Amino acid sequence: MKKTAVDTGTRITERSLFYWILRRHRSMQLFLLLIILVSLFFKVFPLEMQKRIINEAIYLKDIELLYLYCGLYIGAVTIAGLLKYAINVLQVYIGQKILMEMREELYQHVLQLPLQFYRKMQPGTVTSAMTAELNAIGFFLGGAIAIPVTSVLTFVVFIGFMFHLNPVLALLSMGIYPVELFVVPYLQKKYNRLNSRRVKTTRAMANVVNESISGIHEIHGNTSYSLEKKKLSSFIKQLYDLMKSLFVVKYGIKFANNFFQSLGPFVLFLVGGYLAINGQFTLGALVAFLSAYEKVYDPWKELIEYYQGYQDAQIRYRQIMGIFDLDPPHLLLPLNRDVLALKGDISLKNVTFTVPSGVRLLEDISLEIRANEQIALVGYSGSGKSTLALLIAQLYDVSQGTVSIDGHLVDDLCKMDMGRNVAMIAQQPFIFSGTISENLLYGVQAVSGGDGFPDRGRILAAIHDVGLQDDIIRFGLQAVLSPEECRPFRDKFLRMREIIQTSLRDEFEQAIEFYDVTKYLYYSSIRDNIVFGDSVKREFVVERLPGHPRFVKLLRELNLEKPLLTLGFAIATQTINLLSDFKDDEFFFRDNPMELDEFERYSELLKRLKGPVPKEDEARQLLLVLALRFIPKKHSIVNLPSAMEEKILVARRHFQATVVNVAMEHCMKQSDGMPCNKDPRCGEKSGFIPFCPSKYLYTHTLLDNILFGAVKSELTFDDHLRKLASQAFEDEELLDEVMHIGLDFEVGSKGDRLSGGQKQKLAIARAFLKDAPILIMDEATASLDNTSQARIQGLLEKEFKGRKTIIAVIHRLDLTPAYDRIVVLKAGRIVEQGTYDELMERKGDFYELSRSEF
Amino acid sequence: MNSVDQSSEKGCVSQLTDIQEFLSRFHIFSDAPSGVASLFAYLAKREEYVKGTLIMAEGERCDRIFLIVSGQVDIFQYYNERRFHLQLLSCDSINYFGELALLSEFNWFFSARAWTDVSLLSISREAFSKVMGKYPESYQSMVQKIINSRIHRFIDQSGYLLDHISPEAWREDPSEASG
Repeated sequence: MKKTAVDTGTRITERSLFYWILRRHRSMQLFLLLIILVSLFFKVFPLEMQKRIINEAIYLKDIELLYLYCGLYIGAVTIAGLLKYAINVLQVYIGQKILMEMREELYQHVLQLPLQFYRKMQPGTVTSAMTAELNAIGFFLGGAIAIPVTSVLTFVVFIGFMFHLNPVLALLSMGIYPVELFVVPYLQKKYNRLNSRRVKTTRAMANVVNESISGIHEIHGNTSYSLEKKKLSSFIKQLYDLMKSLFVVKYGIKFANNFFQSLGPFVLFLVGGYLAINGQFTLGALVAFLSAYEKVYDPWKELIEYYQGYQDAQIRYRQIMGIFDLDPPHLLLPLNRDVLALKGDISLKNVTFTVPSGVRLLEDISLEIRANEQIALVGYSGSGKSTLALLIAQLYDVSQGTVSIDGHLVDDLCKMDMGRNVAMIAQQPFIFSGTISENLLYGVQAVSGGDGFPDRGRILAAIHDVGLQDDIIRFGLQAVLSPEECRPFRDKFLRMREIIQTSLRDEFEQAIEFYDVTKYLYYSSIRDNIVFGDSVKREFVVERLPGHPRFVKLLRELNLEKPLLTLGFAIATQTINLLSDFKDDEFFFRDNPMELDEFERYSELLKRLKGPVPKEDEARQLLLVLALRFIPKKHSIVNLPSAMEEKILVARRHFQATVVNVAMEHCMKQSDGMPCNKDPRCGEKSGFIPFCPSKYLYTHTLLDNILFGAVKSELTFDDHLRKLASQAFEDEELLDEVMHIGLDFEVGSKGDRLSGGQKQKLAIARAFLKDAPILIMDEATASLDNTSQARIQGLLEKEFKGRKTIIAVIHRLDLTPAYDRIVVLKAGRIVEQGTYDELMERKGDFYELSRSEF
Repeated sequence: MNSVDQSSEKGCVSQLTDIQEFLSRFHIFSDAPSGVASLFAYLAKREEYVKGTLIMAEGERCDRIFLIVSGQVDIFQYYNERRFHLQLLSCDSINYFGELALLSEFNWFFSARAWTDVSLLSISREAFSKVMGKYPESYQSMVQKIINSRIHRFIDQSGYLLDHISPEAWREDPSEASG
């Protein structure tokens, strides 16, 4: 008999709701009960005090006694309130703790369910069950024991107190409860049925929305908005009808409760009043009785609400567990043995695989694969080659026959056995959100549990092997590093800058205008020319500068404000005139200080302005922003009057001396590779970092920092220069640091920030790093370009030959000659196998396939 | 030296008019309506190359036309692994190259290198298409001019090659020979 996860205990989906409540956090729940019991005394005690205040203190006109009873009353009420607070907090704490465990265990179960389960299941159903629906149960869990116990005990204690005061009156006021015991459950059952339908409808609706969002491209492509709307509309209508009925019943229950609650005082006033008038009942006792009656209804109401909550939680719980009510087909960890270390001898005997609909995808497959043999699985599309690979990887289970590895039946192997020994690369691999590095180590981490991580050298080697190196370097170069992230590598990055500035200066000077404190920079903005640095606090970003009092003061002192306003005005006027027909096309704004979404604003501004030097602050600031963004050699929209260059250089010196207190001469002297960090003259303390060769610019990318200047034109900053720099950095072993930064690149949700090829390479590197003896590749290189494909193929031949058993599902037959054996499938059967030469000579199916491909 | 290359003491807006004036001297842009011409002037990119630098290489994807502002550009081609010089362009003769890139996407069939320090203006195919999309009435005449420019260059290049062709390549007109 096949071993399943059931062997480890009761299947999670078969547990009752109270299984969780009664078996988890018992000591905490006992403690809660204890607090409840204590709190009962403090609930009843104030009632006794009420009676005594009226009957003794007021009646005897004893002030001392009044003070005593009132003091005791308020003391008891305060303690009761505090205890109630503690009970509530503890209740939520226990509930959430149980919910947390329930969710974790259920998720673990859900992840291990077979792939076939997910073929039928909508992701929306699983998501909603694991999140919102479980949350609703959590609210019930915490009070599952505490609420009924508290309510029943409170009820009993107050009833007792009422009997103690007057048995007849107590019996009369209890008379209404039995009636309620029939009415409320009747309504509740109705409510439960409606609620159950509500959950199902909501779930179906979530699936429709989920599917639409996943396929939004197709919807836009087909303009099928109304079609999709129609699909959802029927569910919306159903939900609307259900909610109407649900609330009619819900408020019906509420009405019944309120009505019965009001019936009690009526009886009390009538009978109690009569007895008091006739002197058979003291006034104090009547007041205490009324208070007790009011209080006795609270636990009763709580019990009814508890009952409703229980029914609701029970329905939700059963529905959630019902979805996942099947066994994971394999154990996660082995029983009574260690995880196996396999060699990779694979044997398939009379294997048949049938899908639930009855279609047979594989028929009577027998195949022996020796350890370290490299096998190519080929065949027409739909021949079953991928299915065969998935069966060997234990991702599907055979319908008949056996698959074994090193003599162990794959059916009997646990998940961890497979995880350690088999690495699988899918045609469309899944990349998880997180960093490149996290994705690379995903496979290793899963089977090693955090130990035995590959060292940095191996990680970099795997990246290099799959040809991902250049991409990682590019990611690294685009990273903006915080001082903490940069600290370990800063000296090396500054060394890279130095290489560009010295040995490669001649080549790079053609493409980069280096920062030079003595020169006007034509490829940098006027802002960069004046500020000549950056503040980590973003104090001097262009948009904030026109409102920066010291900056504006400086411009006015140096008579620079007016020329800048004139420049800004000219930019705005020219742009509005030239681009009024193109204000929706981003292309025309690429080389303009004005941004597309600012067009209307400036257009309005120009209509208001009478000249280039407006009086109001807002207009001045808008014009200054345009001027400060202006880059003379990039923005051809206007010209920079050459008289301004000298003024701007003067402004730069003044800005350094008066606004940020930086001594550039001092900073420049530190340019022998020693960072000028702690010296206040270098600006570090004020958070200002000047464009000084010894300073790392934390607001810029790593590439900006290495180039240390403005790129003159992307068109001239070509591959030749990149290669030149890469080689120079590699010679000094500096590139590893950039790759290290690149490994921290966030790939986005599902790896959306990566191209298809990058994702595939990442998945291949991920599998290589796992270093399992068996490697299964399901058209793993299909989406790569020819060079990358050849690179991976070369690696299989050179590095893995004689080291790993490889089963590769291959579409491109020109890759097959390198494999030890080619297995040809047709309509779910093996029709041929042999080496490339043998099969070509035989002129059978493989030969035909090759010809058709050609 | 052309006016676009000179830094000036003029007001803020002279750069655009200088480029527009420079463009108007090219056959392709000479009769373009003022709106079209000023847009091309605005979208033109300045490129500078020092002597000896490769501006574009045979086999690379073409994407823009180049107009020479100053300096000389060597146009050459490899044939049977030998380098053949085709033209030396300068700002005062045929002062443009890559004009077909405005019309179609293809791989460059020749290379260009800076013979001296060179200053260029380039206009991308994307910019050309965007402007023409807005002024379709100018499109046909622009295309004709581009083709004429190409023919002009072809005649110039053929003349140069014929001047340098080996005597063995010369053949009599077969019809005359038989007569």
